[in-house]
Amino acid sequence: MGSAGSYGVGTGNSGAYMTEIAEPIRFDEEIRSLIQARFDAPPVSGGSFTALLGLSANQAVGLLHEPGAGEVSASAAASSPTGLGHPLGWSPTFPSNAGLAERAASFPVFAAADSPASSSGGGPSPQLKAEPSDSDSSPPLPVPIDKPRRPAKRKDCEKQKAKGPAKKLKTAEEHTEDDQLPYVHVRARRGQATDSHSLAERARREKINARMKLLQELVPGCSKITGTALVLDEIINHVQSLQRQVEFLSMRLAAVTPRIDFGGLDSFLMAECGPLAASNGRGEVALDPVSWSSDPAPGTGQRTDLRPSQQSSTAWVYPYGLINHGTSLFGYGAANSVPLNSNQSKTDL
Amino acid sequence: MQATKSFERAFLRQLLRVFRLSAVSYKSMSLQERKSAIKLSADVAMASARGSRKWTRGLIAKLSEEDEHRSFLRLILGTEYERLTKPCHGSWKIPRSKKIVRRSLRVCSRRKNNLRAPHGVKSSVLARTLVEKRTHALKRLVPGGESLDGYSLLDEALDYVISLRAQADLMQKLLTTFEASKLSALSKCTLPERKASFVGK
Repeated sequence: MGSAGSYGVGTGNSGAYMTEIAEPIRFDEEIRSLIQARFDAPPVSGGSFTALLGLSANQAVGLLHEPGAGEVSASAAASSPTGLGHPLGWSPTFPSNAGLAERAASFPVFAAADSPASSSGGGPSPQLKAEPSDSDSSPPLPVPIDKPRRPAKRKDCEKQKAKGPAKKLKTAEEHTEDDQLPYVHVRARRGQATDSHSLAERARREKINARMKLLQELVPGCSKITGTALVLDEIINHVQSLQRQVEFLSMRLAAVTPRIDFGGLDSFLMAECGPLAASNGRGEVALDPVSWSSDPAPGTGQRTDLRPSQQSSTAWVYPYGLINHGTSLFGYGAANSVPLNSNQSKTDL
Repeated sequence: MQATKSFERAFLRQLLRVFRLSAVSYKSMSLQERKSAIKLSADVAMASARGSRKWTRGLIAKLSEEDEHRSFLRLILGTEYERLTKPCHGSWKIPRSKKIVRRSLRVCSRRKNNLRAPHGVKSSVLARTLVEKRTHALKRLVPGGESLDGYSLLDEALDYVISLRAQADLMQKLLTTFEASKLSALSKCTLPERKASFVGK
């Protein structure tokens, strides 16, 4: 497939971090593993549903993921289609989001993907608690706190002579202020005013210039340009081109999607793993989002066969090594189904 | 700067989940409808994978403007939706007294006029206008950017560019994967043949 590198913008830089799955084939396998991992997810033990799956109730129950078991079956039993209207013409009996929300709350969040051992129902709450504090402290720079800065600046002003020969070297007295207060230490240069207003302005300008520099590094071809306006021009162009790219890609995906047999995609995985019966039409099953976590494993008595072979294939397919293969099949399968805010991702940036 | 793997994974997960959920309804849509559905899903997946940032809130707010989208969003995001849509405490404006602000502006402008030798054409004014125009354009591009000041605008723009780039790359890869699987999966062939063809590929 030659189109992998066809979009010039941005793919040059990004090639670096996706080296493991640079080729479509590898990526293909990753997707398959994601979809495939659902087979290990606990099927809901609603009676009629397991009959639909062709699983015996015992097998279904036996495969239930422990923490999610109670809530999942409860929500499955309790959920009733509330007829949510999908914006673009979904079937009106689309099942309620209440059950989904419950399951979402109960499942260990995707954060569990990194720490699959913590696949307990209590997972979400520490993650959720961590989130507000993270968003509080999100600016990565040492945040200049306004109040302590003012008195410190006045001290600076007194020490440096106004309009004077304030040198660029740090003096011993000013070292102490650095240690005590978390503010951006601004040096007055020769011939520049040193009162608090201009110091504040200069601090602000330096912060902004730091961000601009980062953006310059990010946008290709921007490091040579000098001047704020031109750099901003480039940034704007870059953002617009990325947005257009996303739209174009979604158009192409829309062209491909109806012909994609998502059920067939699953049967790929099954075929890859072992001699299993072909999956039933995934499309019909997909209607019920409660089924999402359960994701029916086609083939009746073959779950046990599936797991060891899946284990090896997921080990092979998922080269990140971040997912602990031993425990991941359940944890990942469960986490795969209900996405919640991945709290670690936003601090990683 | 690059997007983290966990972001990419979360994004992919969300997107695939939405695809699976809506696979049935995709069949009855026209191309345009499908395209906007996919774009909506991709944006939601990106926002939920990123977590709580000003631009993600702005994006979700913009997507929630239509009622239909709102129920869809609520379905996808679950409990997170409520959390993301309630106003963020970080957007408090520092309470400023008008008198003091006015006085400081006067002082600053006077100082600027005195320090820089007054030219015939104020080049600084021209430069500032150019930058202002572009800042406004950037504000319109970055979701939720209208209410941000210069520094946070750049901050959010940085984050947004990284996420957009990751989104585009992932969608590209997804596309090639789908096209590859479509080509090799002949609809009529039986399973062993399918397996053989895949392995052979």
